[in-house]
Amino acid sequence: MTEAVRLDAVSKVYGKGQGAVAALREVSVGIPRGSFTAVMGPSGSGKSTFLHCAAGLDAPSSGSVRLGGTELAGMGETELTELRRRRVGFVFQAFNLISALDVVENVTLPLRLAGAGVRRDRLEEILRRVGLEGRAGHRPGQLSGGQQQRVAIARALITEPEVVFGDEPTGALDTMTARDVLRLLREVVDGLGQTVVMVTHDPLAASYADTVLFLADGRIVDSMTAPSPERVAGRMTGLGAWK
Amino acid sequence: MSTVTIRFAVRTLRGRKGAFAGAFVALLCAAALVCACLMLLETGLRGAVAPERYAGAPAIVAADQYVRKSVDKGDGETKVKAKPLSERAWLPASVVETLRRTPGVAEVVTEVTFPFGTYTGHGWESAGLTPFTIARGRAPRADDEVVVDARAGLAVGARLHGHRVVGVTAQALPSQDTVFFSTARARRLAGHPGMVSAAGVFPGLARAPEGAVLYTGQERGRLEFLDAEQARVKLISMGGALAGTSLLVAVLVVVGTFALSIQQRRRELAMLWAVAATPAQVRGLVGGEALLVGVLAGVPGAAAGIGLGLWLHATFVALGATPANLQPVVSPFPVLAALLSTVGAAWAAARVSARRLTRIRPVEALGAAAIDDRRLPWWRWVAGAVLLAGGTTLSLVLSGLDTEAAATPVTMLTALVWTVAVAVLGPLLARAAVFVIGPLLAGAGRRGGASGFLAARNLRAAPGALGAVLSPLTLMVAMTCTILFSQTTMGAAAGEQAAAGTRGAHALPGAAFEEAGRLPGVEAVTRVLRTSVRFGLDKYPAQAVTYDPRTLDLGVEAGSMDGFGAGSVALSGAAAGRLGVGPGDRVRLTLGDGTPAALTVAAVYSRGLGFGDVTLPYELAAGHVDDPAGTLLVSAPSLTAEALRAAAPGDASVAAAPVSADPQVAFVALGLIIAFTAIAVVNTLAMATSGRARELAVLRLAGTTRRQVLRMVRLETLAAVLTSVLAGSAIALVTLAAFGAGMTGSAVPYVPPAAYALVVGAAAALALLATAVPARLSLRTRSAEAVSAA
Repeated sequence: MTEAVRLDAVSKVYGKGQGAVAALREVSVGIPRGSFTAVMGPSGSGKSTFLHCAAGLDAPSSGSVRLGGTELAGMGETELTELRRRRVGFVFQAFNLISALDVVENVTLPLRLAGAGVRRDRLEEILRRVGLEGRAGHRPGQLSGGQQQRVAIARALITEPEVVFGDEPTGALDTMTARDVLRLLREVVDGLGQTVVMVTHDPLAASYADTVLFLADGRIVDSMTAPSPERVAGRMTGLGAWK
Repeated sequence: MSTVTIRFAVRTLRGRKGAFAGAFVALLCAAALVCACLMLLETGLRGAVAPERYAGAPAIVAADQYVRKSVDKGDGETKVKAKPLSERAWLPASVVETLRRTPGVAEVVTEVTFPFGTYTGHGWESAGLTPFTIARGRAPRADDEVVVDARAGLAVGARLHGHRVVGVTAQALPSQDTVFFSTARARRLAGHPGMVSAAGVFPGLARAPEGAVLYTGQERGRLEFLDAEQARVKLISMGGALAGTSLLVAVLVVVGTFALSIQQRRRELAMLWAVAATPAQVRGLVGGEALLVGVLAGVPGAAAGIGLGLWLHATFVALGATPANLQPVVSPFPVLAALLSTVGAAWAAARVSARRLTRIRPVEALGAAAIDDRRLPWWRWVAGAVLLAGGTTLSLVLSGLDTEAAATPVTMLTALVWTVAVAVLGPLLARAAVFVIGPLLAGAGRRGGASGFLAARNLRAAPGALGAVLSPLTLMVAMTCTILFSQTTMGAAAGEQAAAGTRGAHALPGAAFEEAGRLPGVEAVTRVLRTSVRFGLDKYPAQAVTYDPRTLDLGVEAGSMDGFGAGSVALSGAAAGRLGVGPGDRVRLTLGDGTPAALTVAAVYSRGLGFGDVTLPYELAAGHVDDPAGTLLVSAPSLTAEALRAAAPGDASVAAAPVSADPQVAFVALGLIIAFTAIAVVNTLAMATSGRARELAVLRLAGTTRRQVLRMVRLETLAAVLTSVLAGSAIALVTLAAFGAGMTGSAVPYVPPAAYALVVGAAAALALLATAVPARLSLRTRSAEAVSAA
C-alpha cells in the first residue's frame, strides 16, 4: 500500500432539488505515503469540502474514500471519530486548541480520549521537534499564534497518524511565523516520513509541498510537481481568468 | 443616551436574537409574576362585593365590624386604626327599638344569620331584605318547618336535616344557599339572645344611631360577606409580600442572565470599544438593549400576568381562601407597575453587568482565549460582606419572630439575601467547589475515560462560568427548601403539640355534648370552639374550651389550670412574652365579634402552635362566634375511633379538625416563584451551554466522540448541581433554623427525607435536561462548520 488516502469518483452535493450545489464532482486522486501535498483553488472551488471528505469529517454524496486502505463509507459517527482519532491528524487555521488544557494536556488529548497511555519519550521527542521545550505547562492563552500552531501540529503527530490534514494552517500567522510552521511541516514529512495534505490559498505556502493539486468548480483541473511560488501564482491567475 | 446608540441597540437586537432570548424569557416571566401579584393586591384594596341578601333594603344598620384603636403617631397627632373582626359583631335589640322610633322610618326588618350545614340560616322575618317571596307552599311557623330557596331542588314536604320543607322561594342568591326558619326558632339557633345581625331600614336613613354603623349601596356587600372583608386584608398583605419577593427574585435572575449574555458577547463589545466607542457609549448601548428587551418582554409578560392573576384568584376561590363573590379587579395599574419594574430591573441588571465589561482593556478582551480573571473585584468583596452581614442580621431577627404573619415575609427575605450573597461571592464558591470536586472528576476520568478529566479541567480553567450557573440553581434549591420545609416544620410542630396535648382523645366535630358524655366508655368530654381574639389590634388564634385535664394537656409552664373557668384565660408562652404578662395578671382583650373582656391569666402554656395562643373558657366565647357548633374532644380509652364514630350522635364523624386553606394558598403562590426560579435555571444553563458550541466543536475535531462530549457536559452539570444543592441547602437550613427557633422554639427544622430527595432530584434532572438538549443540538451542526463559522 503506497497511498495514504485514495478518493474514487467522490462527489458532494449540498442541498436538494433546484437549490442543490455540487461542491465536488467525481474527484479521483491518490495521495502517496510520505508526501507533502498542497490543495489550491479559488474561493468556492471545493477545497474545504475536499479536505473534509478526505478526512472523514464529512460524508461524500457518492464515491469512495479509503484511508490507509480502510473504506470510510458506511461508518457511523462514533466509528469515524475513533478512526480519525487514531489515523488522522488535524491542523486548523484557528489552531482549535482546548483553552482549558495546558500544552501537554492538549498534545496528549487524542491519546487520552482513546484511553491509550502516553509514552513519555515520544511526547518529549515531539515537543522538541516542534520547538516547544519549556512550554509544557502553559495554557493556549499564554502562547503566541505560532506557538499555538506548533501545539496543534504536535497534537496532530502524537498518534502517529496515517495523514496530517492542514486547513489553511498558516492563514492566521504573519509571514515569518508562517515560514517557520511550513518548514516544520516539511521537516515532518522528510524526517518522520509523515503524509501531509494541506489546503491553502497562498502560493508561497504551496511551494513547500511536493505536489500541488489545483481545484476549480469541484474538479481537479491540474497538478504541479516541484512547485515554485511564481509558477503556482501564475497557474492560479490562469484559473481565475479561465473561471 | 444618544439616538445613535439607540439605533445601534435596535440593530444589535435584530441581529442577535439568540443572545437576548434568555433575558427575554426571564423578563417575560418576571413581568407576568409581578403583574399577577399586584392584581391580587389591587383586588384586596379595591375589590367590591355586591350585596345579595341585603340588595332589597336601601339602608342596613349593623354593629361596627372593626376593632378601633387610637394610635399615637409620635408627633402629637393620633390616628384611629381599624382591624376587621374575625366573627360577626351583633346589634343589640335596643338599637332596633331606637331605629323604629326614628322619624321618617317606615319599617325596620331585622335579621339573624348562622351556618346550617352548607346553608346559611335566617328567620323568615328577614325575607323582605332581599326580598324573598314564596313561590310554592307557605312561610315557616312551627319549629321544625323551613323554607328553602329556588336552587335547593327540594319540594314542599321534603326533609332537610330533621326539618320539614313547607315552602320554596321564588328566588335564590348567587353565592349562598339560603334556608329560612320561623323567626323564633332562628333566634334560638343563632345563639345570640336579644341580638340581631342586621336591620334593614325602609325607606332609608340619614345617619346611624349611636353604637351602630349605617351601610348603603355597595357597602352592604361588605357587611353581608365579612369573610370577603378578611380575605381582602389577606390578599393585600399576601399580594404585597409576593410581589416584593418575585421582584427581588426577578432582579436576581435577570442580572444573572444579562451578565451571561454580556460575557458571551465580550469580544463583540470590546471590538466596539476598540473602534473608538467610549466606555459611556458601550454602557449606553448595553443599557439601551436592556431597555428594549425590557419593553419587548414586559408588554406581553404583563398581559400574560392578567391571565395568571385571574388563574391565581380562581385557584384561591377553589381552595376556599377567597370568596367567589370577591370579584378580581382588572385595571391598568398592575400592568403598568409590572412593566415599569421589569424595564427598571433589566436596565439596572445591564448596567451592573456592563460595569464589569468596561473595566477590561479592549485588547485583553479581544485576545483569542480570554483567560478568566482570577481576582474578585473589590466591590464584590464589599457587597458580599454587606450581604453576609445582612443575612446574619435577618436570621437573628427571624429567630425572634413568633407570629406567622411577621415571620413568613422575613423568612423569604432572609433566604433571598443569603442567596444574593452567594451569587455575589459566586466565583469564590465556584473556586472552592473546583478545589473539592475537581479531583473527584479527574479521578472518575482515570477510571471512565477522558470526560471526567476534561470536565475537571474546564471547571478549573473557568470558575466564572460555573459561578454564573450556580446562582440560579442555588436560588432554586434555597427557595424551594425554605418554602416547603417552613410549612412542614410548622405543620409537624403543630401536629405534634396537638397530638401530645390531646392525650389520645378523639376529635368529634359537630357532635352533641350531652349525648356524647352519656356514651358508655366515655370518661370525659371537652367542647372546643376555634376563634380568634385581639389584644389591642393584634390578632391571636384562640380556642374556647370546657377545660378537662383528661382530654387536654396544654403543657403548662407557669401558673395552673386548676379552677380554669369564668374570668380566666391561659396564654401560650409566645403570647405571654409578647404581651409581657404572667399568671395572676389582668388582661383586656376583644373577642372575635368585638365584645371586650377583662380576664385573669391563670396559666402560661407551651403548646401554642397546637392549640392557639389563647385559651378561653367555653362559656365566654360561646355567644360570640359565627358557628356555634364546634368540636368535641372525647376521652374514651376503651373505645376505638370507629366504635366512637358509630356510637356518636348527630353529624359527628371522627375526622381531623378542618385544615386551614392558608398553607395551600401559600404553596400555590410561592410555587409560582419556585417555577420562576426553575425557568431561570433552565434559561441560564441553556444559554451557557449554547454559548459553548464552538468549544464543543473543537473538542469533536480533536477526536472526542459525541458520547465523551455529552458525558463531559453532564459531569460539569452534576458538579454545578452538587455545589448548588450544598449551598442552597445550607441557606435553607440557616433560614429554617432561625424560623424554627422563633416559631416553634426548636431550631431543628422538620425535613421529610423523601421531599428533600425529590427537590434535589428535580434540580438535578432539570439542570441535566437544560444542558443536554442544547449540547446535543450544537453537536448536530457539523464540527468543521461550527468552528469555521465562529
